[in-house]
Amino acid sequence: MQKFFAVLKREYKKVVFTWTFVITTLLLPLIAALSFVLPMLIFTIEGDSTRIAVADPTGKIYERLRDNLSSEKIMERAKKAAEDSLKNIDPSQEAQLKRASEQLGGNFTFVEYNAAGKDPEQIKNELNARVTAKQLDAYLLIPNDLDGKDAEIELYSRKAGDFIVNSTLEDAVNSAVRSQRLADANISEEALNLLSRKVGFVKKSITETGKEKEDATSPWAGFIVALLIYVVLLVYGQSIMSAIVEEKETKISEILFSSARPFELLMGKLVGVGLAGLTQLSIWIVSVLVLLAFGLASLVASGIEIEMPYITPPMIVYFFIFFLLGYFIYATIYALIGSMVTNMQEGSQFALPPVLVLMLGLYFCFAVVRDPNSTLAFWVSIAPFFAPIVMPVRILAEIPPFWQIALAIILNIVTILGLTWVASRVYRVGMLMYGKRATIPEVWKWIRHS
Amino acid sequence: MTETAAQTMAEDNITLKVSNVSKRFGDFSAVEDLSFNVKAGRVFGFLGPNGAGKTTTIRMIVGITIPDEGEISLYGSRISQEVRDRIGYLPEERGLYKKMKVNDQLRYFAALKGVSQKEADKRIDFWLDRMKLSEWKLKKTTDLSKGMSQKLQFISTVLHEPDLLILDEPFSGLDPVNVEFMKEVIAEIKSQDKTIIFSTHLMDTAEKLCDDIILLNKSRKVISGSLREIKESYGKNVISLRCKGGDNVLEDPEIVSNVISHADVKEVFLAEAADSQKLLERLVTSGAVITKFELIEPSLNDIFIEKVSN
Repeated sequence: MQKFFAVLKREYKKVVFTWTFVITTLLLPLIAALSFVLPMLIFTIEGDSTRIAVADPTGKIYERLRDNLSSEKIMERAKKAAEDSLKNIDPSQEAQLKRASEQLGGNFTFVEYNAAGKDPEQIKNELNARVTAKQLDAYLLIPNDLDGKDAEIELYSRKAGDFIVNSTLEDAVNSAVRSQRLADANISEEALNLLSRKVGFVKKSITETGKEKEDATSPWAGFIVALLIYVVLLVYGQSIMSAIVEEKETKISEILFSSARPFELLMGKLVGVGLAGLTQLSIWIVSVLVLLAFGLASLVASGIEIEMPYITPPMIVYFFIFFLLGYFIYATIYALIGSMVTNMQEGSQFALPPVLVLMLGLYFCFAVVRDPNSTLAFWVSIAPFFAPIVMPVRILAEIPPFWQIALAIILNIVTILGLTWVASRVYRVGMLMYGKRATIPEVWKWIRHS
Repeated sequence: MTETAAQTMAEDNITLKVSNVSKRFGDFSAVEDLSFNVKAGRVFGFLGPNGAGKTTTIRMIVGITIPDEGEISLYGSRISQEVRDRIGYLPEERGLYKKMKVNDQLRYFAALKGVSQKEADKRIDFWLDRMKLSEWKLKKTTDLSKGMSQKLQFISTVLHEPDLLILDEPFSGLDPVNVEFMKEVIAEIKSQDKTIIFSTHLMDTAEKLCDDIILLNKSRKVISGSLREIKESYGKNVISLRCKGGDNVLEDPEIVSNVISHADVKEVFLAEAADSQKLLERLVTSGAVITKFELIEPSLNDIFIEKVSN
């Protein structure tokens, strides 16, 4: 055991104490953080206030519009939108919403303009002149007869391409006009809100055990998880193979085998590198979860609609279990290949089949996300080789009955035991065979006779 | 003292006992019915041409492979993990992790032999200093020259203070200065009552270092025993000869078994049941002009060539 730990320690340190590891480990959270922070940054940059004049010959819209564009009102609307997608908002998220709203509200400076008694041509001439003179950025032209069938409010702007300003304005104007119409019709706004309130639409799916469950997970989370597992399994599998080929090429195996049992050496290597993978994945998962919690609110406030994936602690535990199962399956296969070949070129030729199997698993995930309860989803999510990549996706899409998860775990543990049994035999003989690649019949003989 | 007691005492003195060991790879027989003992505190030469079965035998001793037949016992017990930790093995195929630092590398190999890190660190400092490699401690192995990595490899072999040191071609790749230096180090280790098995095909090196030898050829033992005794047994029937003519006498298998020609002298091995006086007489009567005729002790190299070429 002491030697096993010596090997484990070296392999772990060999992977973790490298710049590649540090950089790749930090890069992913960094990219995720940037994708949250960037929209906020862009907001800050575009904080240049838009000077706007409202040509309102009716005199009815201006006050309401101005009120609608105050930060309080914007905050109110953003909060409503956030509640729809986030379910509950914590104080820190609320603070972020508030900041974003203030920014948006401060985007407008109203320039007084008296349009009473002027015809539209005259108004346009006067205001265009002020825009050209750079005293004004935009103006709204409100028609005399707002209730007419073809009534249109026109926005003239130097920055007609600023979609955020435009959409905020459009919302505010519409809401102002609606309030004015209601007032004209003698209906209070409260009464209208009550009457036109949306009815809730909750999607619930019925699981195979007949239980109801709130269906709140969006498919993108599943794909990201599948892709993450796929990439990590490939990267760590390949690194196991190259480490083994290096030991064979440099003939270190001779010294290693005279010091410790091949099985200890192989397991120390697999477990050590596996722990390194687990370290990286844990950092990623934790940082992504933290970012999701803090960053999502700001995204919603910026008007980007995103659905919070529905993640529970058991899901995270399952994720790690299936990652480990997948790691041991594919790392053992790569170790097996590494002990058969004489150099990396030969190794990468042999490494194609496991890559194809992993890719197939990735494709199965699409089918599983669309229908997590299909027969196909059941079989591929418990099957050895596929389960480690498919099952976590299925769990995210919809938790299958526990016996299916247990079955997948058991089947894959049995597969791992079988693979390590074979790999340790091939490793023992193959590592001392120099100069020539082992043929399949030879390998078969090693497995049977040793 | 009874006979059994004497035998037990002799057994106590034996570090390694190889009994009737055979190893085959498919149809190829790498080692055939090999038996020998290595005595404690001696330098044992494991000699033979390339492909004689030396490395295969060593691999069985260090427990990398298992004999098909026969038994190997080390310090009185079969090859096990504990016994293996008492061996220091320097393989002919040297191997170090290229990207690892010298210090980390040595620590790892020590840990694999069950040495605690604290103890290992002390010994690493001692040995790096002894081998004049201290300034390379934190460098990567790739930065070392071939000779330096050889020395590093040697350190990794002795860090756990093994009782039995198995050195397979320890001087290959070293310059003459370093060869002498390494010989010194090996002699030092020997003086600490350690047993050394020294495998080589370089006979003159073996001759200077070994107490006992075994000579392998084509998977079999050709000769074994104390180097002194072996040489003495040849001392009575090898003649250093310088002469003109007499070729037909030297080709007569009744008198001469083998002739090894050097630059200006020939070493003549007498046939069994022949003696030097008879050879001299025959040469004189054949009309050969003799300028040198001397009974000598043959070099190990000559014995080697004589045995292997037969």
